[in-house]
Amino acid sequence: MNSPSNWHPLALSHSLEAGSSAGTRLFGKELVIWRDTGGLAHVWEDRCPHRGMKLSFGFVRGDHIACLYHGWQYDRGGYCQYIPAHPDLDVPKTFKVPVYSTEERSGMIWTTLSENPADAPEDRGDTLPLRSLYLDCAKDTAIAALGAVSLTPFASQGQADTTVNRVTETLYEVSSGQEGLLIGVQAVTDNRTALHLAIRGSRELFQGSGQRHFLDWALRLRYRIEHPRDTASAPRGATVEVS
Amino acid sequence: MAPLVLYNYELDESCYKVRLALSMLVLDWQAVAVDVFPGKEHLTLPYLAMNPSGRLPILKDGDFVLHGTEAILAHLARSHDPTGRWLPAEGKTFAAVMQWLNFSARDLDVTIAARQHSLFNTPGDEATLRAASSRAIRIMDDHMTARGFAREEWFAAPHATIADIALFPAFALSRDFGIDHDEYPALRRWARRFRALPGFKSMPGIPDYH
Repeated sequence: MNSPSNWHPLALSHSLEAGSSAGTRLFGKELVIWRDTGGLAHVWEDRCPHRGMKLSFGFVRGDHIACLYHGWQYDRGGYCQYIPAHPDLDVPKTFKVPVYSTEERSGMIWTTLSENPADAPEDRGDTLPLRSLYLDCAKDTAIAALGAVSLTPFASQGQADTTVNRVTETLYEVSSGQEGLLIGVQAVTDNRTALHLAIRGSRELFQGSGQRHFLDWALRLRYRIEHPRDTASAPRGATVEVS
Repeated sequence: MAPLVLYNYELDESCYKVRLALSMLVLDWQAVAVDVFPGKEHLTLPYLAMNPSGRLPILKDGDFVLHGTEAILAHLARSHDPTGRWLPAEGKTFAAVMQWLNFSARDLDVTIAARQHSLFNTPGDEATLRAASSRAIRIMDDHMTARGFAREEWFAAPHATIADIALFPAFALSRDFGIDHDEYPALRRWARRFRALPGFKSMPGIPDYH
């Protein structure tokens, strides 16, 4: 089952710079992802316990994130350490934001909503960021489309078949010969899905023109999902259902 | 030289673009506060005489009166920036800046309508305005994603230009009309760089981090 207790990718590591934060959702639950200035990524509930403001609107200073509304500052453990309106207050431990296990693997930031999580997903070796796609469809629709757009290798000669390999419930691999993309699947809500795409392989080989090459595949996949009836986007030789 | 005069409304993102340019180009300028909401002063005779379209911003440079946000940005960059960096003269770079100024004027106009609907209850269908705004902002995110692969950090040149100034407010203010920054990672990174430019100023709706 694709349950909240699994590990889920929320973003490409590359898209969250040190000292910045972003909001996202997993099964509709609002989360903030933030990276402290030391480079460590954190996933929390996106809600300041004080007045309910989204912490993703806030700002990162060192290893703290501060709420935009009244400046309450939280440490890496989610505990409020400082309240600007009461600078001398020893803040009670009950002022705490729920914190979720966070790992970076295969160029993506992963979390689980479980309190007793399984092992984090295995790292798949060197990757290079491609991009994230945000789609108005259920995750199963997005997964089903992965094999519908043929992948052309960048560095290798010739054309191989495009294969889709399910690594885990939330990680897929689309390959053509020796080259391939890792695709993390995030169920934003029941009918909104994020695909986080990373190129498998070395920076030397794929940086720049390799990324541009695979970006074309990503944009064709997005077009295909958003225009399911446009048969012109079907790959050559594929069977096209006529409705 | 007489200072430049900007007929300004603090909550208007088009006026904000000009304020950003004046500040980033380190120019000497004065503001005339216009009571747009609720006074509709911009629709009175003296303002219609300067801009018959009844819109701000309006810039006065000596006795030269100019309206149209992109035209004002281009004028400041061409006539008041000795470095020439904000509107590069080189053919393709100049054309790329023009492409994004045109995008700002045409495709991002819907984001202005969406924000005015949300803040001032001007006419419009919220869902339609929001969907069109998301489409426009996604085009910007797609562009900056591809630029990133070429290790380029700005929309049209190897450095910031008036194109970046023209495009920044629609993204920075998008939460005013219900569009979060969550799904635009390339624009988040670009906006962080933009905020770090010398002369950057915020406006209501764009937080200063303290």
